[in-house]
Amino acid sequence: MPMRRSPELRPNLWDGLLGLAVLLAAAALGLRLWLPSASGALTAVIRVEGQPDERVALSTLTAPQERTITAGGYTLHLLLDREGAEMMDSDCPTQDCVRTGRITRGGQSIVCLPARLSVTLEGGAQDGPDVVIG
Amino acid sequence: MKKKLLCFPLLLILALLSACGDEPERVQIIAMDTVMTFQTYGKAAEDALVDASAEVRRLDALLSRTDPESAVSRVNSAGGAPVEAGAELSELLETAAEYSRMSGGAFDITLAPVSSAWGFTTDSYRVPSQAELDALLAHVGMEHVHVSGDTVTLDGGTQIDLGAIAKGYAADRVLDLYREAGLERGWAALGGNVAALGCRPDGEPWEIGIQDPNRPDDGNAYAGLLYLEDACAVTSGSYQRYFEQDGRRYHHILDPATGAPADSGLLSVTVVADAEAGSGAMCDALSTALFVMGEEKALDFRRESGLDFELVLVTEDGRVVATAGLEGRFAPAEGSGYAYETVS
Repeated sequence: MPMRRSPELRPNLWDGLLGLAVLLAAAALGLRLWLPSASGALTAVIRVEGQPDERVALSTLTAPQERTITAGGYTLHLLLDREGAEMMDSDCPTQDCVRTGRITRGGQSIVCLPARLSVTLEGGAQDGPDVVIG
Repeated sequence: MKKKLLCFPLLLILALLSACGDEPERVQIIAMDTVMTFQTYGKAAEDALVDASAEVRRLDALLSRTDPESAVSRVNSAGGAPVEAGAELSELLETAAEYSRMSGGAFDITLAPVSSAWGFTTDSYRVPSQAELDALLAHVGMEHVHVSGDTVTLDGGTQIDLGAIAKGYAADRVLDLYREAGLERGWAALGGNVAALGCRPDGEPWEIGIQDPNRPDDGNAYAGLLYLEDACAVTSGSYQRYFEQDGRRYHHILDPATGAPADSGLLSVTVVADAEAGSGAMCDALSTALFVMGEEKALDFRRESGLDFELVLVTEDGRVVATAGLEGRFAPAEGSGYAYETVS
């Protein structure tokens, strides 16, 4: 006498949908883990006293732009272009901001402590360290 | 039963997707005379960052030497009278005294008047005479700092500056706040200090670049790369603050024995330790002390002190010396030009 399968063990439409959902979620997880993260277009964030003063999406610039920034009693000239930012000159006493040179990568910053000003690049390709110390 | 078995992996994967996919929350502040960046992830990230910023500003107000209202300023300006400094400052002074003792005085928070004489506090740089330095050095040393309960008394002429330990202490507090908020990952960068919680969202360790001290103005130039989870790392280097006069460079890390910039043959010292209670302050204090000591004494100190930490030293003669405990967590920077050595 042939053995009959229990109705409860027979796959139904719900089982198929659930299995498909598991497969799709697993595929999505794999993609999230393996695809490089992209955090949007490269953006220069100009902060004074730690507070965002201006955000400039560098990809929207059609030509290099020079900004004159007055902060903390000092005057600084910042050059922005599609690929990055550079402090051209400053009348601050330390000149650390000018010596930083050109920044081109998300996470990099130009800082002028006397003026309490920073220019940080956000977004773009994350191809460098998470943090740089020193 | 079968549906429950299928639902479990589905829920697990969805939870993992949620955890992996969260975008970082980041805040940047200026405090303790440096730029600090805090980054973390998760639902509680935003509140945690607000709390972290507030905590660092509180510590800055407490420990600043230049804020006349701070507890440190009250102690410095008391003219030798006892000051009710509070439990937190008193405990931090005890910690500083311990690292000073362990390092044989290479770490010393009482160098403040000497640092001022060089102009490093005000950016009005000058080269003081040796006679001037000798007079100031008479008041340098932790034996001139007296802590009794919450009361602090300095001998006449002695002043304190916690700049070589305060950022590490603040890093410890920020990690505490991350943990209290239930966060699993994030980091806090405070000048040359970094404190890392957990790992990156992709499961990999945080990648920490050590700035190449020979190319301090090139943000893409590294002496090496650290790969850290739940760890602190602090770099001190002679390139971070300096001035030049008559063709000679004078940097800000002063040798308590001479009052002059430490001439130890090192360009930078990076101290790495697991993120445990107080390890940020330890890394901060030791990075300064070991820079003053130089390569040989620093490595001897690491072996003999009983403290649990690792080192990356960049020497003036073009070597990068990493301790063996960093195996798998340190990688040379390609094209840096340094000769890399591993020591026990």
